[in-house]
Amino acid sequence: MNLYEHTIIVKQSHSKNQIEDLKTKYSKIIEKNEGEIVKIDDWGLLNLSYKINNNKKGSYIHFKLKGNGLTVSELEKNEKIDKNLLRFLTVKVKEFDMNSNYFNQETSNVKESQEKNK
Amino acid sequence: MKDRFRKNRKKNSQRNYNKLNLFQAPKFQFKRKCPLTGKNAPKVDYKNIKLLKRYISENGKILPSRITSVSQRKQRELSQSIKRARILALI
Repeated sequence: MNLYEHTIIVKQSHSKNQIEDLKTKYSKIIEKNEGEIVKIDDWGLLNLSYKINNNKKGSYIHFKLKGNGLTVSELEKNEKIDKNLLRFLTVKVKEFDMNSNYFNQETSNVKESQEKNK
Repeated sequence: MKDRFRKNRKKNSQRNYNKLNLFQAPKFQFKRKCPLTGKNAPKVDYKNIKLLKRYISENGKILPSRITSVSQRKQRELSQSIKRARILALI
């Protein structure tokens, strides 16, 4: 079994319920194909640093999963077709670092800066 | 006794000063150490944007290691993770 980190960007127009649906959909796909989910992180709605298909924002979902090549190929096959997604990225890692939490802090910082600007 | 001691000290300091003139002063190290190796060094990761932003230019280009004095091994990791962050539109 290998360890993977998998991130997907969902279009900004999607509501929370739709994002939850996507989460359950892909976690089911992972579990069907010999995979196992360790953790799901929701990074929330972030500003994209450049436009992707005329989208300025996207909500990020981050999976940490155990699996093999079949799991990943099956996941990516489904995601390529999916029109709700902008991007996905899979990274093979040697070990998960569960302690560091880069994005929850960042989102709070973004909110603070936005409030300051107002 | 005290006076002697002082004299000795003066001599010693003078000698040291002469040595410094003969050889290049070791105070100034021109080669900086790599900021990403050693203990307490931050881990290079494509999610850690704060760290990655230090090693890219204003236009988003990766800075050469001769400017940032990052070791070769860490530079490889850095460039890999910067490219990953670019795919996710984080940088």
